[in-house]
Amino acid sequence: MSKELIRLRDCVMSYGDEVVLDHINLYINDKEFLTLLGPSGCGKTTTLRIIGGFLSPTAGDVLFDGVRINDVPPHLRTVNTVFQRYALFPHLNVFENVAFGLRIPKADGSGRKVKLPEREIHERVMEMLEVVNLKGFEKRPVSALSGGQQQRVAIARALVNRPRVLLLDEPLGALDMRLRKDMQNELKRIQQEMEITFIYVTHDQEEALAMSDTVVVMDGGRIQQIGAPEDIYNEPKNAFVADFIGESNIIDGIMRADGVVEIFNRKFQCLDKGFAKDEPVDVVIRPEDVDIVDEAAGQLRGTVTSVTFKGVHYDTIVDFYGFKWLIQTTDYCPVDSRIGIKIDPDGIHVMKKSQYSGMFGDYSSYSEEYEELDVPEPEDGEERDSQEGGYED
Amino acid sequence: MKRKNRIGSRLFIGLTFLFLYLPIFLLIIFSFNAGESSAVWQGFSLDWYVSLFQNRLIMESLYTTLLVSLLATAISTVAGTFAAIGLYSLGKRKRDALLVVNDIPMMNADIVTGVSLCLFFVAFFQGWGSFARWFNGVQSAIELPERLVLGFGTMLLAHIAFNIPYVILNVAPKLRQMDKNLVDAAQDLGCTWMQAFWKVILPEIKPGIVSGALIAFTMSIDDFVISYFTAGSSTSTLAMRIYSMTKKRITPEVNAVSTLLFLSVLVLLVANNVREVRQERRAASQEIREPSFFEKLSMRFSQPSFNWVRRGLTGAMACAFIVVVVLLTGATASQPVVNVCSWGEYIDESLITQFEDMTGIRVNYQTAESNEALYSLLKSGGADYDVIVPSDYMISQLIEEGMLEELDYSQIPNFELIDQRFRNLPYDQSNKYTVPYAWGTLGLIYNAAMVDGELDSWGALYDEEYAGQVLLINNSRDALGAALIHLGYSVNTTDEAEIRAAFDLIADASRRGVFQGKVMDQVFQKMEGGNAAVASYYAGDYLSMLENQADGVDLRYVIPKEGANWFVDAMCVLKDAPHYDDAMKWINFMASTDANLANMDYIGYASPNTQALEAYPAYYEELYGEELDPELYEIMAAPSHVLERCEMYTVLPAATRKLYNDLWIELGA
Repeated sequence: MSKELIRLRDCVMSYGDEVVLDHINLYINDKEFLTLLGPSGCGKTTTLRIIGGFLSPTAGDVLFDGVRINDVPPHLRTVNTVFQRYALFPHLNVFENVAFGLRIPKADGSGRKVKLPEREIHERVMEMLEVVNLKGFEKRPVSALSGGQQQRVAIARALVNRPRVLLLDEPLGALDMRLRKDMQNELKRIQQEMEITFIYVTHDQEEALAMSDTVVVMDGGRIQQIGAPEDIYNEPKNAFVADFIGESNIIDGIMRADGVVEIFNRKFQCLDKGFAKDEPVDVVIRPEDVDIVDEAAGQLRGTVTSVTFKGVHYDTIVDFYGFKWLIQTTDYCPVDSRIGIKIDPDGIHVMKKSQYSGMFGDYSSYSEEYEELDVPEPEDGEERDSQEGGYED
Repeated sequence: MKRKNRIGSRLFIGLTFLFLYLPIFLLIIFSFNAGESSAVWQGFSLDWYVSLFQNRLIMESLYTTLLVSLLATAISTVAGTFAAIGLYSLGKRKRDALLVVNDIPMMNADIVTGVSLCLFFVAFFQGWGSFARWFNGVQSAIELPERLVLGFGTMLLAHIAFNIPYVILNVAPKLRQMDKNLVDAAQDLGCTWMQAFWKVILPEIKPGIVSGALIAFTMSIDDFVISYFTAGSSTSTLAMRIYSMTKKRITPEVNAVSTLLFLSVLVLLVANNVREVRQERRAASQEIREPSFFEKLSMRFSQPSFNWVRRGLTGAMACAFIVVVVLLTGATASQPVVNVCSWGEYIDESLITQFEDMTGIRVNYQTAESNEALYSLLKSGGADYDVIVPSDYMISQLIEEGMLEELDYSQIPNFELIDQRFRNLPYDQSNKYTVPYAWGTLGLIYNAAMVDGELDSWGALYDEEYAGQVLLINNSRDALGAALIHLGYSVNTTDEAEIRAAFDLIADASRRGVFQGKVMDQVFQKMEGGNAAVASYYAGDYLSMLENQADGVDLRYVIPKEGANWFVDAMCVLKDAPHYDDAMKWINFMASTDANLANMDYIGYASPNTQALEAYPAYYEELYGEELDPELYEIMAAPSHVLERCEMYTVLPAATRKLYNDLWIELGA
């Protein structure tokens, strides 16, 4: 890719004893679409706010174009933010909201504060309203706009300043499903059109996979994995990532040799190498990588305990020796029928044991977990603890 | 059944509101009364409003009130707004705790706030005094004032202090409603914090700030108790002035000024409510609509091309505000001044103007409620008067305690005009401290239409024949004094048995239901309206009652055969008076014959000036075109043979004062 633009070096953020960010090391390339992905409280918004300049890390450096910017206040950074729930100025109309940043006198080359001529402000605002498809709305009060329209105003308001980097803090969180899909495409289009860096914060893994060049999966104030969406999905580093990104069956296994992993006392062929002999490992098997075969022909045999029709496929829960797997298949197997399964070597992904081992991957409580995934993240900020201290999301 | 209930509840609501508003309604009506009475309607007139605007004491205090309210509102609005913003940058727990702390001063009794602020200032002044003395002692480059007193400054500080919580209370909810990300967003778009404050926070919380300021202003204008304790002796707000005016009687002038005060506060409150309702409605109807004329105007005005106009206007308004404040404060500071403290309605105010025109000395004229109130004010150290006008017994106490300065009689040639009868009186035997101001008797007032024949004994006060018709003067010295005289004792007796006998006389009459009540100021209304038959009160006030008596009421005044109390109020100068020479000029002026004539006519009390006493009937005739009733004149200025039967109060020893106090409390229970 192109050159590096932002680097976080050993960034630590803590409030008293509570560590919110634990030695974050991260670089972001120019014109990249990077997503910080993780559950509530993982530190993703804190990271974003450090880049935006609203928080200063307790330890570590923030570099922008190679220059340390830890102490540069937000108004002097060539970074703009699209806030959660937009943070539009209610007392200004659409035009004035977008023009807000342009009306602030900026220091020119010689350090003198200069104001943009009114004509240029007008041109740039109208241009940006066109980019976000809001032409004709400029006189409207922002309170009279729909959620999607407000979102576009927020994006235009940030982009009109021609930032090097646009920070987006769960920008689609308040929109309904359809609108969210449209806006995802829209954002991707804008990013490519404007050719700037987007740093995007979300807890929605689908959104992250669909839009990003690079995904940073975070949990507990640590980066769990950085990579392209495909890599993150196919080669999760640990049980947390495997579980958080898509559906996974995560089973205890033992590496018997390079390319051989033992699950439920049966040996399976796999592509993973480089583990110690007899090392205990976590084995990830994606639900769509499992083939259902006759009981007799199966590598493993189990009983179907539940079947849910999902349109393209069935979500089938199968009990193997007390451990429940999720299998996504186009074949219908009735409940209580005995089946066998086959897994190709490239369907098996072996991970080192981690602190997350044993926490995920069993579908015993399938229905509840499924619901949990659909529950929108509770909106924070309603009664946020304080302006400074409370932004751990 | 249901219908009946509805009528009942409507009636109840009606009565509630009647109860709430009838008194104010009456006040407004009587402010338009042509006569002086507050009990009898004598036709419509705006005279009281006219005389209100000509009353310099009221206008001065109005001006003080406006100045302190405006300044306090401006300062506390700024301070409160920033305090509220500061609160919101704290954690939730700390913020909530501090908001509760913020509520306490508002719930706190005004009197506690007032007394504590007064204590605080006085304590600070004492500390400052020692510091300044030390500081002036060790160096001579800068001279610090050693003596600070309560005054406009302390009252302003007090107003700011009690206004800030109201501002915070109004601004805080607006901050809570505000999206916290707005400030971040503004900073993100290139604002410094201060720019974000002006461009984003301020427009968002403006409604809260405006209503906070309006409430603070209303509170400031309304406040009496806190001002009373912190204004010191030389500053009076309108409320304090009204209060001191009601000490003698509620004049229709007070009704007029109260009406205006009520209306202005009403206008402020209505304006605030209308504003809030409008905002809510605007917030509720979010659809696009044609902007109103004013909105168009303000939108047009907020265009950047109008920047210089807006800035100019804001600047001009700020400058105007500062200029007004400087003028208002400066105008009072530069002139020579003499601080006078007297009683309410105890001077013809044109005399003040005359003196000022003649000498160029500004008179800061204040009033106290009673000798005792004046005394405690002086003792608290909060007063910086030059001239005071206490009564006889209080003068001797002040002299005893070394609180008075000897007068320089060479600067008071008019002292020669004071009648011999009023010189070298027991309170100031060698006449070194005082120039008499006015004098009079305390006699028996009765309504001849309600009693048989003529009364000539204090016994009428305790007579069952007038059960429920007698007004007992609400002042232990005067009440017990009349009883002592009736029993043939001296009003200055220290014999406990005699005092107890006098007390028993009153207590017994009280048990038998003779007294309608203990009164001071209400005596005017009750006697004028024919609601009571007998009372004891001052001769000068009797004359004023006589002018206002209702039809069918026939008020008489008599010095009973047992004798009576007579009093002299005299001008004295306080020790260390800051304007001694100007004080001499004032005293000399007030002792002149012209001043005494005018004053006598205005206040209804007799003058101690020989020439004025002789010339008054002629003066009266010239002024009113009718002869002065010699009998009335004798009541006003008792002739020597009457005065000989009267006894003056002297200061009582502490033990006797305590006995008086204890007995009086016993009677009240």
